[in-house]
Amino acid sequence: MENLIKELKEEIIKTLNLEEIKPEDIDENAPLFGDGLGLDSIDALELIVLMEKNYGIKLQDPNQGKEIFKSIVTMADYVHKNRTK
Amino acid sequence: MNIYIKSCSQISVQEPLCNKWFTKPIKYECPYVRALDPDYKHFINPIAARRMGLILKRAMATSLTAMKDSGIVMPDAIITATGLGCIENTEKFLSVLCEEGENCLQPTFFINSTHNTIGSYIAVNIKCYGYNNTHVHRGISFESALLDAFIKIKLGKIENALVGAHDEMTPSFFTLLDRVGFWKGGFAGETAVSMMLTKCGDIKIVGVEILYMPERQKIVDVVNKICSENDIAIDDIDLLVTGRNNNDENNMVYDDFENIFNMKDKSESYKNIFGESFTSSAYGVCYAYESLKRGISPLGKKVSKVLLYNHCENKEHSLILLTC
Repeated sequence: MENLIKELKEEIIKTLNLEEIKPEDIDENAPLFGDGLGLDSIDALELIVLMEKNYGIKLQDPNQGKEIFKSIVTMADYVHKNRTK
Repeated sequence: MNIYIKSCSQISVQEPLCNKWFTKPIKYECPYVRALDPDYKHFINPIAARRMGLILKRAMATSLTAMKDSGIVMPDAIITATGLGCIENTEKFLSVLCEEGENCLQPTFFINSTHNTIGSYIAVNIKCYGYNNTHVHRGISFESALLDAFIKIKLGKIENALVGAHDEMTPSFFTLLDRVGFWKGGFAGETAVSMMLTKCGDIKIVGVEILYMPERQKIVDVVNKICSENDIAIDDIDLLVTGRNNNDENNMVYDDFENIFNMKDKSESYKNIFGESFTSSAYGVCYAYESLKRGISPLGKKVSKVLLYNHCENKEHSLILLTC
């Protein structure tokens, strides 16, 4: 799980072009949207594409996103349980 | 009503956002150079900048500089010219489409790949809700944007306008254009020029004319018309700025023009300094603007009236007359 969390942080930085941020700067329990990392709706779309491309996970229900993308930990947990690649 | 250029800012292959090029231009021997970028942190919040390609960052930096230099905090209009638009993001978007199919396309590259992204980004960032238009007309994109602003101010629809010319040249697009012989000895560059047009200032835009495949006599008639309508004798024009480059076929058109009006000794070019792109004629206006401000051209001619003459593949021609 620790490796997956590290991998997700690196992928998010790369995909969202967060030039100023290093993996260790991201608190895996902090919210991704709003107060924490400050991501927005376009970033949410990027994360959905990332999940499908890297882990073969297709999010069918948009309401699921709120829970999955709460933090890096919730995201890693969902990936761990549902990944197909 | 008179229309003036109040400020002009550039990012190019020369030192960015300054006029060092006027006295000490950087010389290049290669056929393609990318622009020299300033530190964009001074202009754009890093969170906002992460989605912006270079063309958008350059447009923001030149626009904010032109606004600051003019003292105008909110332009009435944002009028943008581009030949290729956000070609770098378009390439990224299309590359993913080709390599991975349509299923996993990243939205950011797509959102930022349209031609009018540039003008929209400037408007969103400075919260300008005024007239916003983008002109995409190959070699006369910039002149079309300039003419748009010129007419709008002349008609009293707006008081001022932020006019920009923006193009980027990616290595792959340079290679493609080179392969089909587009450059023909030209020196490929990128464009990022912003200028503020107002109803008062020092550098006056006397006239802007665009012609499509004109015959020789038509060009003569238009030059005579602009001059006579503004009580300017053709002989009083002290500087002719042309889009001359290293291509004989391109230069023949300028040779002809210089011979007709006996302006060979008055002629100077900007493309050897800034390079060439679909909107590079905006650098011609920078060249003329700075020469008029200083009263002397980079090559030492005394200057008070400048005529700019450009053409793109001898199809689209443009004439701009500036005075101080």
